[in-house]
This record gives sequence, C-alpha cells and structure tokens, in this order.
Amino acid sequence: MDRDYFSIESILAENQKISCDFKVDIPEMGHLGGGNERDIKAPCRIPLPVWLADWAEFTIPTPFGPRVRNALKAEARSVRLSSLVGAGGMWYGYGKMIMDMKSAYSTRPLKHVSPQTFRNRLMEVVDQAQHFATLGSLGAGGSSGDTAQSFREGLDATERELFSLAQESAKRTKRWYEESDRGRR
Amino acid sequence: MSLPQSLRTTVTPPELELIASEQLVEIIPLVSMERTAFISGAYGPLRPPNKCKIPLWMALNLKLKKKCHIVPPDWLNVDDLQAILNKETASNAYSEVPFRYVEIAKVLLDVASEDMPQPDKIRYLLKDLREARQAKCRDALALINHSDVKMTNLSSMELNEVRPVFVQSMNIWTKLVRDPTENYIGEVEEDERVS
Repeated sequence: MDRDYFSIESILAENQKISCDFKVDIPEMGHLGGGNERDIKAPCRIPLPVWLADWAEFTIPTPFGPRVRNALKAEARSVRLSSLVGAGGMWYGYGKMIMDMKSAYSTRPLKHVSPQTFRNRLMEVVDQAQHFATLGSLGAGGSSGDTAQSFREGLDATERELFSLAQESAKRTKRWYEESDRGRR
Repeated sequence: MSLPQSLRTTVTPPELELIASEQLVEIIPLVSMERTAFISGAYGPLRPPNKCKIPLWMALNLKLKKKCHIVPPDWLNVDDLQAILNKETASNAYSEVPFRYVEIAKVLLDVASEDMPQPDKIRYLLKDLREARQAKCRDALALINHSDVKMTNLSSMELNEVRPVFVQSMNIWTKLVRDPTENYIGEVEEDERVS
C-alpha cells in the first residue's frame, strides 16, 4: 500500500492500467498502445501500467470515479470492490497509489473515500468472519442469504486477509471454549 | 517467518490457559503432604482439613485424582457474577473483572464444578457476560483510527480474540490516511487559499 519496493502487496496493487493523455509526440514508443504505429502522436489516450504512468498526465480511473464514489457514499457495503479492480485486486492499495501520484489538489474529493469506505465495511467483514467461524464445518452459504454472499464476493484482497484473520481467531477461541481437557491432564 | 499469519500477532488460548494456571487458588486437601519445592516456589504443607494456597495447575491435578476440594475464587459465584453482568449491561464501559477470569472460570468449571454451588447458572452468567462484552468490542470497530482504541478492563482472553483484527485494521487505516509528503500544514494553508 505504501510504495515499498519489496512489498508484494504494493506490486499487486500496481497491477492495473490507467489511461494517460499524451500531449507531445513520442517517437518509437507506439508499442505501448499495443497498435502498429511507430510513434505516439500527440493528442491521444493510451492505457499504461501504473508504475509507468508516474510521469504522465492521467484521469482518475473508473474504480474511483464519481459513480463509484456516489455508490460508496450511499451504501459502502453494497459496492463490490473486487469487481472494480479484478480478481485478487487491491482496491485500497490502488486508490492510495493514485492519490499519492496525483497532486493533493486534484484528489481532494477522493481523500476521505477509502478510509471511510474501509471503516463502513469493516464491521460487516468481521461480523461475517465470526459468523463463518461459528458455522464450523457445516458448510457455508444456504441460510446466510444473497446479500451476504455478494458482499463476501466483493471483498478486495486487503479485506479478504482481514476476514481470514478474524475467522481464524474466532475459531481458535471457540475451539478452546468447547474442548474439555479432563482427559489431557 | 514461517509461522502462519494468525499466530504472528497473538498467542493461542491454550497458552493463555497455561499462564493463568500459575495463579494461586485455595484448596481443602484430602491427603497430607510435606512442604514441597517447585520451580515457581515452595507450596504446602497440606494438612487436611486446613485450607492451603497452591497454584491452579497443581490444584487441578490433585482434584482430578480426588485428593482435594477446590475453593472457588471469591468472584466465581452466582451473586457476584450477576452483579458484574448487571453492571456490564447497564453501562457502555467494560465492567471490572479479574484479568484472567475467562481461563480460570473455564478450567474450574471443567474440572471442579461439583465444588461450587449452581455451576450451570454460573456457566450461563459467564456466557451472557462474554456476549455482552463481545458486542461492545464489535461496536469499538466502528470507531477505529490509526492511534488508539480504549478498552479498559478487557480481560486477557477477550483481548487475545480481538487483537489480530484490531491490529490489522489499524495498520490498514494508518496506511490509508498517511500522507506521503507529510506536508499537512502546507496543505491546510492551501485549503484556505482555495476557498
């Protein structure tokens, strides 16, 4: 999430393309656009990987665009973050990266979006994790309902990790509560 | 590290139980024994029917061999637990309980439930208490921030259960709100100029 060279999370979060506007001709770089042209001709828009876009002018990508922001404002838990950034994607990490790259001024409306989203979704993540920990091996789904199911599918990689932490911890405590160690002593 | 993620941040409940087993409890011995030296200290002598204070692990061991009765700690009875529970549900703060009450209550109820009156009632009260306190922990998640969360009087087992989640969420929160340029003051000024 912080742009640490050695952080796997940071590399995964960078695995996105954002569209950049080219304002000058760049010779011999046409392959970036994937086409057959030799040069990049001036006004054009080409999707570039995040790490390459560091020096370019780019627009705020759709996962953080006004539509998604409004949906998040309305009800953060109904937005499927994972489908915004692809499977195993890191919506939070990606967003943080975009914000760090853009100047402070242009990302002002964005600034509070991801912390707020995180906080609004956190309780649901932990609730569901604990719910699944108590289910045990009886199996998932069934009675838990469609909303919960689609929320789980919409977790981004950061939240997924948190989910499994919460689940593991609740499971361990539950196991301890239930086992009687008369036999062990 | 090769430890699984969940074990890196916290200890396991059985480990906490082991630590709690070092606490002293009162027993009424049924056998006599001379004063004996252990690594943690010397305990005894056991002279029935005089009461004696020994570590919990030793009391449990003797109890399983039917060589003593355990006197439950003074908070482990229906009246006191009911009072704690009432306080717990009446206010938003966690009420004051012994730090390792979960572990001690569990092992005593497991092994020595016949030494205390109304063990089933005690089990119910402890369960209610646990659920009331868990609900408060859950509410605390909504207030998470990067620096602190106030959970005075939370007991060791409860802390242990919520620790991984809280630590991880606070880490994520910190990363999300941190400004890499750390130019906070300059930004505030710029804010004012714009408006």
